[in-house]
Amino acid sequence: MAWEYSDKTVQLFMDAVKGKPGTHMGEIENPDGLGEHGSIVCGDALRFTFRVRRHPEDPTKDVITEARYLTFGCTSAIASSEALCAIIEQGGYTPIEALRITNEDIVKYLNGLPSQKLHCSVMGAEALEAAVYNWAQRRGVDLEKLGVRIKMHDENEGRIVCKCFSITEPYLRRKIRELNLRTIPEITNALKAGGACGSCHYAPGGLQDILNEIWGGTEAVTPATAPETPPAKETAPAAHAAGEPTSPYQRMKRIEQVVNERIRPLLKNDGGDIELVDIKDSLVYCRLTGACAGCVGAAMTLKLMVERILKEEVDETLRVIAV
Amino acid sequence: MRPFLEDLYFNPSSMYAPAARVARAIAEARKDVAALIGANPSRLFFTGCATESNNWAIFGAARARPERRHIVTSPVEHPSVREVCRELVREGYEVTEVPVDREGRLDMNAYVRALRPGRTLLVTLMHANNETGVIFPIEGLSRIAKETDPDILFHTDATQSVGKIPVNLAGEFHQVDLLSFSGHKLHAPKGVGALYIRQGAPVRPFLIGGHQEQGQRAGTENTAHIMAFGAAAQLAQRHMADETAVRARRDRLQRELAARIPMMEINGGGAPRLPNTLNLAVHFVEGEAMLYQLDAHGICASSGSACTSGSLEPSHVLTAMKVPFTARHGSIRFSLSRYTTDEEIDYVIEVFPRIVAALRRICPYWDVAKNAPRTDIEIPREARA
Repeated sequence: MAWEYSDKTVQLFMDAVKGKPGTHMGEIENPDGLGEHGSIVCGDALRFTFRVRRHPEDPTKDVITEARYLTFGCTSAIASSEALCAIIEQGGYTPIEALRITNEDIVKYLNGLPSQKLHCSVMGAEALEAAVYNWAQRRGVDLEKLGVRIKMHDENEGRIVCKCFSITEPYLRRKIRELNLRTIPEITNALKAGGACGSCHYAPGGLQDILNEIWGGTEAVTPATAPETPPAKETAPAAHAAGEPTSPYQRMKRIEQVVNERIRPLLKNDGGDIELVDIKDSLVYCRLTGACAGCVGAAMTLKLMVERILKEEVDETLRVIAV
Repeated sequence: MRPFLEDLYFNPSSMYAPAARVARAIAEARKDVAALIGANPSRLFFTGCATESNNWAIFGAARARPERRHIVTSPVEHPSVREVCRELVREGYEVTEVPVDREGRLDMNAYVRALRPGRTLLVTLMHANNETGVIFPIEGLSRIAKETDPDILFHTDATQSVGKIPVNLAGEFHQVDLLSFSGHKLHAPKGVGALYIRQGAPVRPFLIGGHQEQGQRAGTENTAHIMAFGAAAQLAQRHMADETAVRARRDRLQRELAARIPMMEINGGGAPRLPNTLNLAVHFVEGEAMLYQLDAHGICASSGSACTSGSLEPSHVLTAMKVPFTARHGSIRFSLSRYTTDEEIDYVIEVFPRIVAALRRICPYWDVAKNAPRTDIEIPREARA
């Protein structure tokens, strides 16, 4: 296996898949808190629910008694979800206390994660925070009044920095500070941002710019070599039509006309048809379709009939190429 | 191989008599490998691997004719072609990627439009895809390139196809100038490959600094591996007919899995395909998790899932084929060989559907009772436009 997982990670994953008693896979019906993080588009997603023992007077004294998850993702994503639920249930936390659980606690519980897989633990911490926010709404708890700042709900808005994983600037700024991320590889390992096409690394307003702004330009690691430019898409060929005795456009129109008026009717007599694929100077690319497609005589038909007529009617230099 | 590691360890370039024996043995192996692809042995050069062959073919063509600066390729090529093309883009080359359709077939009209008479240096298109097994029509593609402009070089990476399906440079591939392949895909040990270069094709050497391989590929010959390559080529030729049985086993595996697993794509299933490859994309399951479970059952498979690679991006092949995003992370590839047994196929048919069902129980998007995607929650749309 390509990844070196701890025995604990593998064991949690295997137990979860087998549905062993004591594991936390599932979804609580009518939960007191529900939070999601990630997306199937990006390769992992977590749907996290919990139930509390409600305090009769003061909802801030609710205690989480049960936590469940459903996860789309790899071995470590599933193990991280399992770890999150186990930590919460063992702690007997109130939802606000549970916010103190960080991705590092999840990593510790798993006896470590490969650095490229840290984002799996971050996903757990983020889903937990979303679920606590959801609980506060359901229970009428004003988190801001209590001095608990949850910002994630307005971070879905804002400029998208990493287009591959739809990661916004406000989210990046918060997580870079929270997790003390200092380099682009650290950001990618923890948040996935910049992990696919890489075009946001050194783009204006991209990951390096944000790092420089947060930590100051001197601390940021500047790339040793010039930033890679992404491969150019095909650009339009340089126009150099001048000097042609006849207009290529006119000749192209004439070829189309001959194909439509003279050649197609002949082929249709035999239940066939022709598709004009492209014209490059003297080269005419055609495909025989209908009854002519796959006919053993198709290549001969194109040469003897189509090419001959085009030579006669348009230009002696024309050549037909079968597609 | 053993005699060439133990007793016949002589450098084939040396002058003493035992060295000549080694040189003769290499010549025999070269004939055997060339015979497998219908090539003139004097135009077949041994390399370290197909990656080296691909690097040589593309860089060598570019250096031989610097006045031509345009390359035609596809988005589903092996990285040893894609990355070399990207490298040339950095040097100012223009590269056109001809798209593929949902089944992985090349867009022939776009291919025709991509060719530039007098300006295109090289067409490099693989014969069979390493993830899906989909076969490109090299005969027609090379003919169209040569009819457009006989000076356009045509290269094909045939690593996946040589030894599994007929490849004949004296027959239907007679307009192919450059052909790469490797030994280990036909059961030779890893560490030996070959590049065929048609007589007269302008291609500069890649590894220089020695007279070996007619001065085209410097470096002391990897004698024992070349011997094994020769022997493997003979075996592959003798057993080519067995591929019909391989295809039958692959088709049975595909049919039985499709009957047991709802919402599963067969990538390239509608296109001409290698007989030994089965690439599936399971909706709402992540590939690495499946691989881990398969591994625990002693089944070796591969995945194009992002989590199995260093990158976080799923397979470039499935992305180019526009496999739905709910399945793009759930790809899994089973590769058979003529040594795969019916019992092994039965075992996968028994185990794999259970693994998929177990992982779907964990998935937030799957309704276990209905055995279908959930309808009560929103399934996100594609993130990228």
